[in-house]
Amino acid sequence: MPDPVDILATTNVVKRFGGLTAVNKMSFTIRQGCIYSIIGPNGAGKTTFFNTISGLYKPEEGSILFDGHRIEGQPPEKITALHMARTFQNIRLFGGMTVVENILVGAYTRLKQSSIQAVFRTRAFLDEEKKAESRAEELMEYVGLYGVGNELAASLPYGAQRRVEIARALASEPKLLLLDEPTAGMNPSESADALQLFRRLRDDLGITILLIEHDMKVVMNVSERITVMDYGEKIAEGTPKEIAANPRVIEAYLGRGAAAAMTA
Amino acid sequence: MKIKIRETLRTVAEYLNRGKAPYFLSIGLTILGFVLVYLSPRSIPAFLVFAAAAGLPYFLSIKKSIKLALAVLVAIVLVPVLGARNIFYLEVIFQIAVFSALALGLNIVVGFSGLLNFGYMAFYAVGAYLWAFFGSQQPFLLHAIPGTAPIGTQFFMAADWFYLFIFLGVIVAAIVGLILGLPVLRVRGDYLAIITLGFGEIVRQLANNLDKPLNLTNGPQGITPIQRPTLPDGVIRFFNGIFEPLVGRPVTVNQFYNILFYLIALVVVIVAIVITYRLDDSKVGRAWTAIREDELAATAMGIPANKLKLGAFAVGASFAGAMGVLFAASRTFVSPESFTFLQSVGVLTMVILGGIGSIPGVIIGASVVIILNLQVLQSFSLFLSRLRQSDAYIPIINFYWRDLSNQLDPSKYQRLVFGIILILMMIYRPAGILPAARRKRELRVAKLEADSASVDNGNGGNGLPDVDKPAASPKEDNHA
Amino acid sequence: MRRLIKSAGLREILLPLGRMAVFVLGAGALMSVVMVVLALLCRGSGADKLLLSTQNVNIVFYTMANLPQVLIDGVTIGFVYAAIALGYTMVYGVLEFINFAHSEIFAIGAFAGVEFLIIMDKIGVLATSGTYGPYLYLTLALAIGMLAAGGIAVLIERTAYRPLRGAPRLVPLISAIGVSFALQDIIRLVESLTTGQFYRVIPTFGNFDDKILLFTIQTASAPIKVDIQVKSVIVIAAAVMMLVGLNYIVNATRIGKAIRSVAQDRDTAAIMGIGVNGVIAFTFLIGGALGGAAGVLYALKFTRIDPFVGFMPGMKAFTAAVVGGIGNLTGALLGGIILGMLESFAGAYLGTFTMGNFGSEYKDIIAFLILIIVIVFRPSGLLGEQISQKA
Repeated sequence: MPDPVDILATTNVVKRFGGLTAVNKMSFTIRQGCIYSIIGPNGAGKTTFFNTISGLYKPEEGSILFDGHRIEGQPPEKITALHMARTFQNIRLFGGMTVVENILVGAYTRLKQSSIQAVFRTRAFLDEEKKAESRAEELMEYVGLYGVGNELAASLPYGAQRRVEIARALASEPKLLLLDEPTAGMNPSESADALQLFRRLRDDLGITILLIEHDMKVVMNVSERITVMDYGEKIAEGTPKEIAANPRVIEAYLGRGAAAAMTA
Repeated sequence: MKIKIRETLRTVAEYLNRGKAPYFLSIGLTILGFVLVYLSPRSIPAFLVFAAAAGLPYFLSIKKSIKLALAVLVAIVLVPVLGARNIFYLEVIFQIAVFSALALGLNIVVGFSGLLNFGYMAFYAVGAYLWAFFGSQQPFLLHAIPGTAPIGTQFFMAADWFYLFIFLGVIVAAIVGLILGLPVLRVRGDYLAIITLGFGEIVRQLANNLDKPLNLTNGPQGITPIQRPTLPDGVIRFFNGIFEPLVGRPVTVNQFYNILFYLIALVVVIVAIVITYRLDDSKVGRAWTAIREDELAATAMGIPANKLKLGAFAVGASFAGAMGVLFAASRTFVSPESFTFLQSVGVLTMVILGGIGSIPGVIIGASVVIILNLQVLQSFSLFLSRLRQSDAYIPIINFYWRDLSNQLDPSKYQRLVFGIILILMMIYRPAGILPAARRKRELRVAKLEADSASVDNGNGGNGLPDVDKPAASPKEDNHA
Repeated sequence: MRRLIKSAGLREILLPLGRMAVFVLGAGALMSVVMVVLALLCRGSGADKLLLSTQNVNIVFYTMANLPQVLIDGVTIGFVYAAIALGYTMVYGVLEFINFAHSEIFAIGAFAGVEFLIIMDKIGVLATSGTYGPYLYLTLALAIGMLAAGGIAVLIERTAYRPLRGAPRLVPLISAIGVSFALQDIIRLVESLTTGQFYRVIPTFGNFDDKILLFTIQTASAPIKVDIQVKSVIVIAAAVMMLVGLNYIVNATRIGKAIRSVAQDRDTAAIMGIGVNGVIAFTFLIGGALGGAAGVLYALKFTRIDPFVGFMPGMKAFTAAVVGGIGNLTGALLGGIILGMLESFAGAYLGTFTMGNFGSEYKDIIAFLILIIVIVFRPSGLLGEQISQKA
């Protein structure tokens, strides 16, 4: 039984595609209120692991415990209902919908309205819609989007799209937020803004954050703990300092020769 | 040059849409249209003016209450009066109403959720055969060979059950929609389209062949007579009392039935419009659009995609079910002929022409296609047949019109019309005549900075599902 | 080196022939066994008694006695389906797109060939062409059908599909439906303007309607003759030659290699210097030509054609392509034969086994049911790899 303050605990999670084992016996735990990063070279299985946690993939083996619930193999709607949300590596907004609508879609699991109520426009329905809309506006402001609520999501610049995606995820009221390379494609000042936002999410809203990140500066700067993946397996875990000094990690990133050169 | 014309048009439109102008415009046009049609009931331009007058207020900035009053006047008074004078117009408008409801239903499946359905007429058939079976003598003829009904066979149930059957049609069609929708859970894209085609054809062939072992559908001959709801005493007298001076002569029972069915169709289509609008603007509608835009992302946001897709099939089917019941009663006859693949593609053409996903769009699409089919093509046919009977000829090549083949009857060339519309729309305007626009919300911040937003939102993508769409290219973010 | 190429070429001719033999024999044997077992199970049933009282045979004997003829019919129509199915499968293989208008390309081929024969008939050369003349004219008709259909297919690709390449997947499909409908009416328009009728009947000429007696089954009452029409032999022979030819083109020639590479990855193929547009046009040409030839063969077998003649064979051929595994040439062949056999068996036995309650009119429903079941439960078909479907 993991410690109750662990919000997520995976045990020996295995995900295979045919003969390829994309994630192999991944076990780790995230404490509530932590900013946690998974790093690793391209193709290390990080995104696959994310997809397995968030329910898009069913793991072949292992268990995933989220906030006291077993969620491995559960459909994403169940997992979202338990207050987990995510973003995508290659931003996946609903481009033909407005920014507000995107965020309202994120709130899907939190809206109690039925279709019957919607057709008859009951008081409860209207109230809920109004509340959801103003909450969407709050979220937009929170992530730093102003005056774009009625724009089509696809028409926004790249950095703003990233923010919309985070706002959309926040609309589902997550306790745990999975961010897949949230600063990819950003310039240094933008990623600094993003880091600021992640810290605020944790400090103001108490959201635990699990990051996949390539940008070492970001990772070392923001994370409290780091897990390193390579070839689908966990090869190291620890604080940023420990990871930076770990020869296996350097080897995975830079190759054997470089690792030898650095330790020499 | 082209841009200049467009700008001029826009200026004119804006001028007409300011102050009192739209009121004069729409009321004047309505009166003009009404008078024109009243005076020359056969003229197509007159009808088009009237149709435009009926549709125009939607696009003008007129007070909602006035719009509503105009709509009620047109729908409840003017159309029945004109229809009583020339029953053909009532038929056109009745068909527009029926096909608008069908197009709205298909639009939920194709437009909102992005699931192509080539067998939509199957649901219409389900509704039509439901009332055709129970509202005729057919239940007593289960063991009779088609065409050998004994004289004096009773009707199975009283005619006024018809009203209940409109609701039953909704339910049964929705259930069939759920069943037909089941493959949706495993299949997507073009394969789903082919499967629905297969289902549609199976339903039609079953209707064609289920005259044995039990004679359920009377086979290719179809079922007739099917009962119409009874008319209470005095209704016609009442109608004539008010409208006879306007119509110019008393309406007969049959004419009044046409008016009645027109009114019922109107009610159904209005209900369909309201339901569509309200569902679209609720979490279900947003979820449908999200699934269409990016199913994986929608799933990851906690949307149960399969449940919603099935729901789309069921709701879409239910509109067709209700209209099917109405169709059976209004024609007093159904046969498998009415539910072919051609018809399904016809409804799809309406949706695509008008604007996939756009509610006013698909209604316009239905109107254009029906008017094209029933009026333009038919009067072209009439014109050709008159030419054939005359001595006219084309001078230089000395071609006498009377030598023109009888087979050349434009009203029979629906496929060509549908086909060309579909190809041209796909190539040049996949979003349709009136593209779907996302609803603008009253937002606090948006109000302040709305003017600085320079993005044209009128064109909400091309409205078609696009799962392979690449993510937006990483542009420099200049807002920071 | 030269010998090696030659033997590889030979391989690509012998291999498909072998496959065809295996598929025909295998499907035929399997269907026959299933049918006989069904008949055995139905002994003593109402259907059995009905047969005994009306024709004085029991159901097992009835089934067995009819088998040879049913098999021959099944193979004939199966090869026609296979030839059409190849058009669908080639285009799908290269573009991942259902060319819905292929059924009308088939119809255009049929009309072009039949019109040619009608003109020849009017001139009077058909009737006086001796023993071998008819074969020459039929060959010419096939060539004209192939040319017309192939040309139209290329034209359609250029005008209605190419502008939509890269659009969401359903866009070209809707355009294809539009093309299909428009072509039906264009054929009707052209045909009815020239003669006032929109259907055509292939002229009677040559010995195509003659029957070759294969063998006779002796029974207690009357002997049952098993024969095959000359035109069925022609249909099968022509289809076999085309299928082998196509297989050769795709697997043993340069352009075939180009087609396969474009099918694998269009962008990479383009980078490698392959003219993708040309290859796609060629694919349509070949697929269309095969469809056109199938149209002429269909007209020869069923004599009457109308502008809507393509729809059902087209749907069944598409079903065949999906059953075999769309994108897979061998699969289309297998699927065609299976569909042909099923149709022939259903036509011959369904009515008898259900005492007339469900007759051969259900064969279309059966074809659609197979289509739906295969797509839902095994979208990659019998021979396709089980890959996850792209949306």
